[in-house]
Amino acid sequence: MKSLVYLLSIAVLALGLYAYDVRSDNQQLKKEIHAQYTNSLSNASEKLSYLQRSVAQSLLFQDEKALQNELDNIWRTSNELRTSISNLPLNPDVANQWLRYIGKIGDEAKRASTNGDYESWQKKMTVVHNNLEQLTNEWSLATAHFYENDGDFEKWKQVAKTDLEESPFKNLASNLKTYSEKDFPLTTSESDWLKKRDLKHIRDREITKDEAIQVLEKLVPGIKDATYTVSKSKEDAPYPFYHIQFVKGSRVGYADITVKGGHLISFLSERPVQPDRNITQEKVKELTKQFIERAGYDDLEIIEMRENHEAWHVHLARVAGKHNALVYPDGIQLKVSKDSGELLGLNAMEYVQRENINDNQPVVPIDWKKFFRPNTVVEEERFIYTENEAYQLRLCYEVIARFEDDINQTYRVVVDTENHDVLKVEQLP
Amino acid sequence: MFRNILIALLYLVAATGTITLIKPEESFAFSNQVIERGAFGDDVIELQARLQYLGFYHGKIDGKFGYGTYWALRNFQESYGLKVDGIAGAETKRVLANNSDFDREWVHAQINAGREFTYYGGIPLDQQVKKGKAGSSGSKSYQLPSKFTEQDLQLMANAVYGEARGEPYEGQVAVAAVILNRLESPDFPNTISEIIFQPGAFTAVADGQIWLTPNERAKQAVLDAMSGWDPSENALYYFNPNTATSKWIWSRPQIKQIGQHIFCY
Repeated sequence: MKSLVYLLSIAVLALGLYAYDVRSDNQQLKKEIHAQYTNSLSNASEKLSYLQRSVAQSLLFQDEKALQNELDNIWRTSNELRTSISNLPLNPDVANQWLRYIGKIGDEAKRASTNGDYESWQKKMTVVHNNLEQLTNEWSLATAHFYENDGDFEKWKQVAKTDLEESPFKNLASNLKTYSEKDFPLTTSESDWLKKRDLKHIRDREITKDEAIQVLEKLVPGIKDATYTVSKSKEDAPYPFYHIQFVKGSRVGYADITVKGGHLISFLSERPVQPDRNITQEKVKELTKQFIERAGYDDLEIIEMRENHEAWHVHLARVAGKHNALVYPDGIQLKVSKDSGELLGLNAMEYVQRENINDNQPVVPIDWKKFFRPNTVVEEERFIYTENEAYQLRLCYEVIARFEDDINQTYRVVVDTENHDVLKVEQLP
Repeated sequence: MFRNILIALLYLVAATGTITLIKPEESFAFSNQVIERGAFGDDVIELQARLQYLGFYHGKIDGKFGYGTYWALRNFQESYGLKVDGIAGAETKRVLANNSDFDREWVHAQINAGREFTYYGGIPLDQQVKKGKAGSSGSKSYQLPSKFTEQDLQLMANAVYGEARGEPYEGQVAVAAVILNRLESPDFPNTISEIIFQPGAFTAVADGQIWLTPNERAKQAVLDAMSGWDPSENALYYFNPNTATSKWIWSRPQIKQIGQHIFCY
């Protein structure tokens, strides 16, 4: 009995020591996270004040150099502020609205700096400057208690959990929403882009579930007679579609087909793929051509092929207009298995969204020898359509260029044919 | 006698002819397929190694037929009087194989061990392996769209595995697509890492499951999402209706349900 009490005492003591140790560790972790959050909050507050001052200062100048300096500051600070805010455990509505509003200011600064339209910038920022000042004050008020020297970590845990209506960020969130809509209303091109994304242009007749399955089986005959489960998209979905899930042998997959018009927008099939490669790249090209013919996609060209361990990903783009330009936003992606050449996936969302191209955009020639430095070799040049930052579809030169003395540095450069704005530069693998 | 000599001579000529015909085949180590940009695997490893052996290719021997390999191959074709098309067909492979050496076992051993190495002709192989610690051995390499890195793939696969490993494949691709949709949205941070580690954004980060080792299926799901597939149909959020406690998430417009997750804007 005495021994049992003795052993129990030791066990209780060991357990107590262990609990104390765990608690100490947790306290230490809480202190560290508390310090990190406070640091991010301080950073965000400092950057916000700095941004607000820079926006105000940008309204002082007419001098281009002085104004450019402020615009650069604004663009850089807006990016840093976005990072600081995204490191804080805020209510998602507050975080999202902040990131959007600050990002819009940065985007405007970048745009003004690029196109030199300072008048438009100053007109817009006269309003934004006042609103930003108010938002800065509200932010200070809402975050004041996080600086109280009480070391209480619980207040951070509560920020994201607390309902916005009861949160100190309530006014800030409400004002951010209002100012975002007023200060940065959607442009026509942004609005068109959203309509396109939501498939608002599709006016075709509605199809039934059975017809949707027929569409799928016509495009992908390999899954004919599979077991299907068909559901409809939720009521809030911007475009109604049938969600078809299927099982056939070892294949399990899905397809989404629009209710209006029965357009296949997405299809993926998963099955075990044998490691042996039986299908050559030439065969994959041939199968791709056969598929697009069967599907009636008669205006597509292969633009990229990527082989990996189990499958090929093939990217195609629509060819359109008098320049036979590749319309990159109207792409289709295929996934083809390496073992048998079976179609494992199709993504035609962008193709269904289909852009209206402006065939009359002027084409001002560029002398690439003057455009690039002397040690740059232009290897390929073609016309493409792509979206600029304002979601406008622009006719562009697409140039594949490389350094003369380093063949491992190849770049894709996209230049607007009319104003010669450089829309994209990316290093190719 | 004359007849015997003639027959012997004919045999000799035939044998020589056969040897001449076979000789390129003997040094022909590639598979039969035509190799071009976008290809991946052992044939590309051999192509890069042979081009490097001859001094045309200076990049990493990684089995990915990108632009570096393409320009090197074109330069080789030009130097050897072949048709310059950047495609390794039968003739190009034959000339390449006849003019270079390829130690398949050694090259693959370096790749499998994750070592940095080169394969230039005329330099002892042991002098072509970079000293120091090898990289991660046995980890698979992937060809990704140019705007993504292998680190992006790894981080997203960790997130997908931590968040949705019990979900159907479609659900895993959808989770990866949500991360990429946030990358395009002005309401979210600018990088994949910032999106995944935004406080409260993903349960797997909060409960530590993001640090589990992802399986091949999660990586394939990320690869499909990076290649354009979005089973979520442009969703920015998802939640499990059986476990979600946030009132806010229920207020989001819903798009579709995949497995245990409802995807929404």
